[in-house]
Amino acid sequence: MSGPLDGIRVLDLCDPKGQYMGRLLASHGADVIKVEPLAGDPGRRIGPFVDDVAGVNRSLFWWYYNADKRSVAIDLCQPDGAALIRRLAANVDVVLESFAPGTLAELGLDYAKLSADHPELVMTSLTPFGQDGPRANWAWSDAVGLALAGPMSLCGYDDLPGTPPIRPTEHQAFHIGSHFGAAGTLVALLERAESGRGQYVDASIHEACATTTEAGMPYALFERQPLRRQTGRHAAARPTEPWNYPASDGRAINIFGMPRGDADFLQLVEWAEESGLGGELRDPELRDGRKRQLGLGQDSAERMLHDLAAFIASKPSQEIYRGGQERGAAWGTLNTPDELLDDPHFHERGFWVDVDHDELGRTIMYPGAPAKLLGSEWAIRRRAPLLGEHTDTILRDELGLSRDELTALAGAEIIA
Amino acid sequence: MPDQAVPYQEGPGQQVTSDLPLAGVRVVDLTWIVAGPTCTRLMADFGAEVIRIENQQTLDSVRFGRPHPGGFDPPDSSGFFSWLNRNKRSITLNVRHPDGMAVLKKLIALSDVVIENYSSYVMERWGLGYDELRALREDVIYVSLSGFGHSGRDRHYSTWGPTAQALSGLTAMSGLPGQPSAGWGYSYMDHTAGYSAMIATLAALRHRQTTGEGQQIDLSQVEAGAVLCGPAILDKTVNDRGYRSPHNPPGNRAAWPKVAPHNSYLCDGDPADAGSWLMITCESHDQWAALCATAGRDEWAVDDRFATMPTRLRNQDAVDELIGEWTRGQSATALMERLQAAGVPAGVVQDLPSIVYHDPQIQSREFIVTNSHEVLGEHLTDGTPAKLSRTPAQRRAAGPRLGADNEAILGDLLGYDDDARMQLLIDGALG
Repeated sequence: MSGPLDGIRVLDLCDPKGQYMGRLLASHGADVIKVEPLAGDPGRRIGPFVDDVAGVNRSLFWWYYNADKRSVAIDLCQPDGAALIRRLAANVDVVLESFAPGTLAELGLDYAKLSADHPELVMTSLTPFGQDGPRANWAWSDAVGLALAGPMSLCGYDDLPGTPPIRPTEHQAFHIGSHFGAAGTLVALLERAESGRGQYVDASIHEACATTTEAGMPYALFERQPLRRQTGRHAAARPTEPWNYPASDGRAINIFGMPRGDADFLQLVEWAEESGLGGELRDPELRDGRKRQLGLGQDSAERMLHDLAAFIASKPSQEIYRGGQERGAAWGTLNTPDELLDDPHFHERGFWVDVDHDELGRTIMYPGAPAKLLGSEWAIRRRAPLLGEHTDTILRDELGLSRDELTALAGAEIIA
Repeated sequence: MPDQAVPYQEGPGQQVTSDLPLAGVRVVDLTWIVAGPTCTRLMADFGAEVIRIENQQTLDSVRFGRPHPGGFDPPDSSGFFSWLNRNKRSITLNVRHPDGMAVLKKLIALSDVVIENYSSYVMERWGLGYDELRALREDVIYVSLSGFGHSGRDRHYSTWGPTAQALSGLTAMSGLPGQPSAGWGYSYMDHTAGYSAMIATLAALRHRQTTGEGQQIDLSQVEAGAVLCGPAILDKTVNDRGYRSPHNPPGNRAAWPKVAPHNSYLCDGDPADAGSWLMITCESHDQWAALCATAGRDEWAVDDRFATMPTRLRNQDAVDELIGEWTRGQSATALMERLQAAGVPAGVVQDLPSIVYHDPQIQSREFIVTNSHEVLGEHLTDGTPAKLSRTPAQRRAAGPRLGADNEAILGDLLGYDDDARMQLLIDGALG
């Protein structure tokens, strides 16, 4: 089987914030050439590291977001380096970049220049705030991005007074932006097949994160109302009941997904009663599915949760999770990411994939595809490249540079 | 600052599709709640013709979802629904009625993509598994979003956004150390599963462009979440280090790269209000020096405890305390402006109304525009964060009223005449 993007060639100039974008294209089969500075991409300095020893080829961040790419180390700040980039760009379908707006224009590598003799080129810029506007060149980080764009305002605690909103997990602004950058790129490629023309895609992480706030955005648009953050559950216009309850081993279970049907709910009640912990769950009011629904701030739901909490606390988390699901409840354990590796289901589905790390003589298990394409290949064909691993190959095969020219460029510290 | 929403030029409901990049792609949209509709929302923004299949007896619960700006009067009064389903069409069908199912099958035969986010067994129970869909349309792209996917031991289990976030690890990675998980204050995995489905669907469309073949896409919402925790999972598979530790989750401090200062600091206002907090992160010595200078605390810059990144990390309790003393009582916005002028990454924890009504960047890029809806009236909506220079996404219409397109789809697209449409209605096939 071939990948759905086989034959698509991509030049990836992105720093860490945009590297997931190229990874998404690469694992769908595109040939992605990652251009990095001679000293290595900044992503190579983000941990964790193999055996906790830092090194340009030991970053697990680099590995994950740059798998399936090839690496060419070129100093594009030097005119001869920029010239090499222009020549490479002439032979690709897509250029991805995440420089501060205006940077590439100064180097003669902006869309206008690169597309002048290559109108089929699709070029996507993924930047914190987009290409224009008063804050386009503001200093930014993943956490500052999640703060300014809304997601962070919705996360935190309502029962720990004085605590701040919480930045929910690192690198997520990178991911949210990269999803939009990749989608915009693919849309432009599909359109190109009809029109024969490429175009420029200006993707703003700020806008991407702002629209990725579920009810937060419509409440603002329609009611001008901020939602209040609440511990471990959705922010809301008015207080709602907690969803996460500890099992007997201390692991919390998310029970937002209460069964909608009465038959399923009665199975849950009977299960609790087997332990003598049915409480008032047979209250006739709870026979109405709407009265059981969480997230609405209902007294009936609160009473139900009081009894369920006592039952959940009586059994280990795996038993509660699986027992609930078997009875039609969409419950879930609050795993840490590594704990998902213990669940046979995802192994059975072939989610995890083994990647050969020949440089270490090891095979490493990676998370697999975000969506399984059953009729074309999604695969991690190749570990992330070592620094400059493909510099000579690419410049020789793609641009026809001779051994002498390569030596001269390396001597002048334009390539490595 | 005044409201500066930019009126959108086209009138409501106009189908301006000629310059849209996905024009000509027809999607039979059997999705509901948030994950599936997020995927089809983006496809519709880019010009795909997305036809929502709805049923009056089992309405999409988002049609009841708050807010209802003009009062609670479903199925057409939800602002949330309209926001999530703009640019789409709606037809009501009763697929349990053979004639209703016949209409759906005719529609599938004319469509490029069929997408659903039911529990994993529903489509097969309806006789609409991938093989049956292919019999109707050889090159169909069939996209399913489910909690656990359509294969494996637990394929009959189900998720909501919060369940998928919990199982995948995203919830447990958010919070203060030693406290219960703060988690995500919304269904992040409904959005991101939708984005992942969109990207896979676009890739499959490209595959079809080059090979003529359709295919099945089987997305598990839990897997789509695990994909967003990659380095933490590799830390286990490479270093055998689990995530649980006294320092994890790290609150608002940096996980990777490890830098300090990296935290939220209370300024003026009520700590319960998001906007009272300022996020500041210094990833380099220059940024730290600029912070010290902006704060007028040159003594910090020469303090041995803060001289290098490793020492700042070791002494980050002291770093955070000093910065917090400086920010307390000051305007978060003013401090943000001053720090940014000095090149320090700093951002107020803005709530969504601040972003929609007062964010100069959002306003300058015209990200918020007006839209019009028969029940909701003139209202605001947000843009599409990837701007295509030649064929940009468009907001053509608000969310469809229930069954708004019954007549057009049955008549113009499927060729049912007046009598035939009336018969479907009388027979109860139009749900």
